[in-house]
Amino acid sequence: MDQENVYDVTIIGGGPTGLFSAFYGGLRQMKVKIIESMPQLGGQLAALYPEKYIYDIPGFPKVTGKELVDSLKEQTAQFNPTIVLEQSVLNIEKNEGVFTLTSNTGEKHYSKTILITAGVGAFEPRKLKLDNESKFEKDCLHYFVDDMNKFAGKKVTVFGGGDSALDWALMLEPIAEKVTLVHRRDKFRAHEHSVELLKKSCVEIMTPFVPDELIGEDSIEQVVLKESKGDKKVSLNTDIVLVNYGFISSLGPIKDWGLELEKNSIVVDSRMETNIEGIYAAGDINTYEGKVKLIATGFGEAPTAISNAKASIDPKGRIQPLHSTSIMDKRLKEQEEKEKETVRG
Amino acid sequence: MFTIVNRETCISCGACGASAPDIFEYCDEGLSFVTLDDNEGTAEVPEEFEDDVEDACDGCPTDSIKISDSPFDGDPEKFE
Repeated sequence: MDQENVYDVTIIGGGPTGLFSAFYGGLRQMKVKIIESMPQLGGQLAALYPEKYIYDIPGFPKVTGKELVDSLKEQTAQFNPTIVLEQSVLNIEKNEGVFTLTSNTGEKHYSKTILITAGVGAFEPRKLKLDNESKFEKDCLHYFVDDMNKFAGKKVTVFGGGDSALDWALMLEPIAEKVTLVHRRDKFRAHEHSVELLKKSCVEIMTPFVPDELIGEDSIEQVVLKESKGDKKVSLNTDIVLVNYGFISSLGPIKDWGLELEKNSIVVDSRMETNIEGIYAAGDINTYEGKVKLIATGFGEAPTAISNAKASIDPKGRIQPLHSTSIMDKRLKEQEEKEKETVRG
Repeated sequence: MFTIVNRETCISCGACGASAPDIFEYCDEGLSFVTLDDNEGTAEVPEEFEDDVEDACDGCPTDSIKISDSPFDGDPEKFE
């Protein structure tokens, strides 16, 4: 194992507590990595309620989930932590003071300490629940749009009736050959404004239908739809399918790591350390007497967990940090000095 | 149709109340419950709200909203 690859703290879960922990780790001059199961950061805020207002974040009379996530990402980016997306940690082992975290892709991550900020567990997209769905997942069945070009000139079938489904149907309409939106009922859950835009667009609307079968050998050729409360079936010529059925979370393998759990939450002490030395937990996933599950609480627990993790691996590391103003001032001065050096050089 | 919230797994995300505001509300702890029968799963969902309840069930990120043709008698896991 190359020491270069060993991080001071690896944060499991890129929600608000994970992001603020990453920032705080940077502030405490730790080498930080975040591992997140979704292709995006922000946890529940980004997955479940990006547009909703949150009223109990200190200093923000009201802020949407997305705004808060964007600010946290900006704050965290000051220290450039390593961010690993679309991986969930399956297994943790400890050897000679270093943890090895193995993810679902088989990749191994090395870290002196671990901070679990996994909220309610790893989120994954809700699937169509059709027999041969998995064989198409690589190329022509998607749950996220990471690259719009994949959809250019294609016959796209979008499933879902919420904001994501409508927004993507509308975004893809100008570049795709044809977009069909399929929903179980005639009424859409999405914003009225989006529904209006949809009705004015060229997107074909198929309601009330549910997916029944995916037909094709190596790639999808047709999607068979069935009336949701009837027997009528319709086949759609399709090159590419986009599923927007929301997300589902589960604690998953965290249960098997030997951590003391209480009702699906990880028990921690006042330092946010679990029963396994070197593994900490903060935010919604932890519990202790009097625990309150709020984003604000997670923000408070993050510096406690990080500072104690720092002290555990660095005998000179103080638990009580300096004020952020002093640290950032010093950092800015150092950066300015460096820039001057470069100009002089 | 009968419905009940598994309050052991509910994470208070608010999705069900947004989909079916006539059926789901939140207690002091923020957890969801069925207003029709105080989350006993014994009162039939009025027909006009059945689609909303199905939306709520589909949208629940922890699969905590249960739906059945028979009453739950207070046990969300009765049919599992």
